[in-house]
Amino acid sequence: MSYKVTEEGNIATIHLDGEIDMDVVEKAKEIIFPHIDAGKEIHLNLSQVQYMDSSGISVLIESHQKALEKNTKVIIKDVSKSVLKVIMMAKLEQILNLE
Amino acid sequence: MNETAQANHTEKKAFLVKSSSLKDVRTFCREVFEKLQIEQNLKDELVLAIAEAAQNIVKHAYKDNPDTKDIMVVKISCEDNKLQIAFYDMGTPVDPKKIKHREIDNIKPGGLGTFFIQEIMDAVEFKDGGKPWINHLVLTKKLKN
Repeated sequence: MSYKVTEEGNIATIHLDGEIDMDVVEKAKEIIFPHIDAGKEIHLNLSQVQYMDSSGISVLIESHQKALEKNTKVIIKDVSKSVLKVIMMAKLEQILNLE
Repeated sequence: MNETAQANHTEKKAFLVKSSSLKDVRTFCREVFEKLQIEQNLKDELVLAIAEAAQNIVKHAYKDNPDTKDIMVVKISCEDNKLQIAFYDMGTPVDPKKIKHREIDNIKPGGLGTFFIQEIMDAVEFKDGGKPWINHLVLTKKLKN
């Protein structure tokens, strides 16, 4: 998994690329969580994520909940078809902020 | 749409029990399902279910032994349009009665892997894998004609 982060004002845009599984979840948390802790609004672009398992879904849930605690939000943008299917299987499409 | 395997087929492969093997497990599955001419949508679901089962071995059966050099074996068989995926490991014995996913409406991290497996597959059973194996999980899925 690779990533790119751009910051503009209070928005941190994070592009993840590759496959997100148990092996890379800690890295994904290390990329995302500091920006949430800093109170940034997160735009998480998943257009280049071709595969996500339950570990990756857990990162999305944890990020979402952490952001709520910090009075900010995580917006998931351009989610790929394959990842959207997993999000829907987990019945999270109404919980997570998808755009 | 073609979900039908054209011929009976079996392949198996051993992987080190560690999280970095999960990508190799997925690659192996995708290659086998390609040979079986399983359509993309179902292939994605099956790969997810298999990867979740392999992840459970790494995460739970070897929870107390993360630096193990043990292997796990994944065996994919297709016979008479019935797909069977078998897992063999030598980790901590699994008590099938204790396996359950979290309530899907209770939104919290974790506990989804088993739910995905059960959603995707027709049957999920633990069987006797014979020595030297401790756990032998068998997932099955009927392919459409």
